[in-house]
Amino acid sequence: MAKNSFMDPHDVPKIPGTEGWEKMYPYQYQFTSSKEDKERAAFESDQLWFYDGLHYPIPHYPFDLIWDEAWSMTLSQYTTRHWLVPPALGIDHRIVNGYVYISPVGVADPKEIEKRVPIFMERAGYYFQNWDRLVEAWKKKMTKVINDLEAMNFTDLPEMEDISVIKEGIGKGSGYELLRKWDALIDLGLLCWQYHFEFLNLCYAVQVTFFATLNQLFPGIPPSSQVKMSAGFDPILFKPDGELIRLSKLAIDLGIENLILKPLKADQLMKELEKDAKGKEWLKELEIARYPWFYISTGTGWFHTEKSWNDDLNIPFENIRTNIKALKSGKKLGRPTEQILKERDRIATEYRNLLKTDTDREAFDQGLGLSRLVLPYAEDHNFYVEHWFHTLFWAKLRQVGKILKNAGFFEDSEDMWYLKRDEIKSALWDYVTGWTTGVKSRGPSYWPKEVEWRKKVYEKFKAWTPPAALGTPPEVVTEPFTLALWGINTNTLKSWLSGGEGSSADELQGNPGSSGTAEGKARVLKSIDQLADLKDGEILVATTTSPSWAPCFVKIAGAVTDVGGPMCHAAIVCREYGLPTVVGTGKGTQFIKTGDLIRIDGDTGIVKILKRAK
Amino acid sequence: MTDKEKRLTIWYEEMEGSDFPLVGKKNANLGEMIKAGIPVAPGFAITIYANDKFIVDTGIKAKLEKKLPEIGEVTYDTAKEASEFAMKLIENATIPADIEEAILSGYSKLCAKSQSPDCPVAVRSSGSVSMPGQMETYLNICGKKDLIDYVKKCWASAYNVEAIMYRMNKGMPFLFNIGVGIPKMVNSKVSGIIFTINPVNGDPSKISIDASYGLGEAVVSGIVTPDTYLVDKIIMEPVATKLGSKEIQCVYKKNGSDIVQVPVSEEKRSVPCLSRQEMLELARIGKVIENYYGKAYDIEFGVDADMPFPENIIILQVRPESVWSKKEAIAKTEKKKDPMDRLLSGLMTGMKLKE
Repeated sequence: MAKNSFMDPHDVPKIPGTEGWEKMYPYQYQFTSSKEDKERAAFESDQLWFYDGLHYPIPHYPFDLIWDEAWSMTLSQYTTRHWLVPPALGIDHRIVNGYVYISPVGVADPKEIEKRVPIFMERAGYYFQNWDRLVEAWKKKMTKVINDLEAMNFTDLPEMEDISVIKEGIGKGSGYELLRKWDALIDLGLLCWQYHFEFLNLCYAVQVTFFATLNQLFPGIPPSSQVKMSAGFDPILFKPDGELIRLSKLAIDLGIENLILKPLKADQLMKELEKDAKGKEWLKELEIARYPWFYISTGTGWFHTEKSWNDDLNIPFENIRTNIKALKSGKKLGRPTEQILKERDRIATEYRNLLKTDTDREAFDQGLGLSRLVLPYAEDHNFYVEHWFHTLFWAKLRQVGKILKNAGFFEDSEDMWYLKRDEIKSALWDYVTGWTTGVKSRGPSYWPKEVEWRKKVYEKFKAWTPPAALGTPPEVVTEPFTLALWGINTNTLKSWLSGGEGSSADELQGNPGSSGTAEGKARVLKSIDQLADLKDGEILVATTTSPSWAPCFVKIAGAVTDVGGPMCHAAIVCREYGLPTVVGTGKGTQFIKTGDLIRIDGDTGIVKILKRAK
Repeated sequence: MTDKEKRLTIWYEEMEGSDFPLVGKKNANLGEMIKAGIPVAPGFAITIYANDKFIVDTGIKAKLEKKLPEIGEVTYDTAKEASEFAMKLIENATIPADIEEAILSGYSKLCAKSQSPDCPVAVRSSGSVSMPGQMETYLNICGKKDLIDYVKKCWASAYNVEAIMYRMNKGMPFLFNIGVGIPKMVNSKVSGIIFTINPVNGDPSKISIDASYGLGEAVVSGIVTPDTYLVDKIIMEPVATKLGSKEIQCVYKKNGSDIVQVPVSEEKRSVPCLSRQEMLELARIGKVIENYYGKAYDIEFGVDADMPFPENIIILQVRPESVWSKKEAIAKTEKKKDPMDRLLSGLMTGMKLKE
């Protein structure tokens, strides 16, 4: 008999040497023993928990869990308390050995579902009817959050308060200010994530239901068809790449392309450009492009380890060089927006023309109408939140890390990521009260040892392979994100139940990202700094890709990522470039080594190692 | 007479449908398909005018005209006598130099195109009036000498007993010049069938391609399980690929037109027989054919081993799809009051995880 449930979440083996790891994460993230709470433990056993490899290819640094907590609260809050999506509640979260597991929760009682229907219809209906106005208001709110964040700065506490504090009768001190600003910083982060989901649950609801309709009409229709016929705006995520193309063209027009092509580090190159009149002109345009477009992250933006272009200008400069070379060889670059719009209408019209009954045409039109309404938001919110806001947020946090390092709390300011955010607040209290009293804080004797231990635990987490799923699958899933974003269906469950990997030891099962097959040598890139190593015809293997990787897409044969579903950005971008792509393999960057000959199938999601590199 | 009317040979790509009085219906139809963007085997037609010039210049026409009154009333026996007389005259005649030159020059070009000196061709009769199956077609003809011989045989076949009787019954004249088509034999390394719908469920948004190694017989007659490729017709993206077992392939016996079955190597069986490029090109052509005829089609194709992509993709035969096209359309979705109502019902349905 085939297995039909996964390991009980309470039975996951502990990793030797990590005992006590639980304190690195919030207590409510732990699975509960039945001794402590029988009811909660039983609920946990009866739920399906799957590892969120889509967002998290690595175990969580304690601080970075902030965004998981943020979306845990907000995604669920909109489904459960704002819209009252009739059959669905939120998504519950747990953590096991540093890896986040999530679980969609449904409404069990049919009577309860019925009661929620009119409430949902009124509320969701209102948003759909007033969509454009509300989205405009959203952009204003988001911009304010970002401006408020940008205005924040954290510095070491002064030896004594400035005389102005006395003469202006301010009546409060820098220590208090530091603690207040810390709270304000965290608040801004959480507020930003409140806004993140203001429209998103409705977007996913629309996408899930339209895709279901499309599948009734055209069984097996590729997900990209839905995106292509709903798209047609100018997605913000392509703007950074567009800016690089603009700068590349400008360099050629100004005749300074050979200067830029010199293999210099960004800071040196900028000094050289500064000396040249034309170069100066170009630098001015670079500055314009940088804010905000260079806040684009080279990853998903979820982790502090991911750099943005503004954090490392070598990355955009390398891309500009690639662009210049391509332009000089006569290649056309950029997104032909008008053509994409035309293509969008052709695709929609051709599908519609295949329908033979009025009922089907109406179903198609209704789904497409809503899908076109919501998709721009679904695409654009990401730049504001995960790229722009997060990039700035990580930078502000590093200022705090530096303060604590200067105060002797850390050996390295990057040690701060091994603390939960509440622990940083405590450390700041410790620092401030030491400062106010004029005595030594406890932090310098407490945190370095603790961080050292946590680093060891973290490395052990990294070496561990989290099971794809735990617990008991439900009969039906109704939670829209689970279906659209994580792509949970009978096939994923089957693949997980059979061990999560492909049929043999040299196969890996991921999600179809962009169709087609490709064969070639693998190039595993652990970070964007290695992008220059990519050779023509290689298959890129990376944790994730973002549109900021786009310039390298012209030379590779295909791509494999650790994270992502069919609707993820890597998949959308690769489809635009017609690149065979497998996303969400979970462990691709660990399983595949640079130089391995691999074959990837973007239709089935299978990656096969044909020959290992010697 | 226009220049075209006086030509001895005309390439398929120079023809159009209305040229059938010059080259015969089958040939003109191929010209029409090329015009519509449908790739057929490369080749040329020997014109009806060339046939006429042949029988005039060799004196065959005069001899036939003289002989006819001697035969008298048309019966099976007299037709047989006339047939033997005419066919012998034609088969034994020497083709005048200008006509032979024209034919061989066309043949040389075909050989160059397929990069083989004695490139195999077919010799196909093509009358300006359709007379299904009355005249001969010869397959796998190699080399100049055989070609000339078979062209004469083909011309002669217009005078076989069945053809003469058919014409007499329809009140057509005894003397009958035909066009002859000389297409390159498709040396199929892979062949198969394209449906411009999904034949499994009638979904009109898909193109389905069944393909296996060797000649089309293996797929058409169902001796092998072919690969099945499903491509979305609108965005032209592959949707699914199902590998077939492809145990054997059909090939021509050496120097002949007999077909034999040979096994396919384990290695070739385990990979798709079509490249992505070939699959997408076949899907594209399927769509072209469907648009051209305005309905779903069932199409036989071959991928030629002698020519580079994309010229190697060759359409062998087309016919209207006959199963789903006859079914009455029924709605696949339910009627809903408004978009919100539809959204709600979609959310309530969710996704079943257990079957």
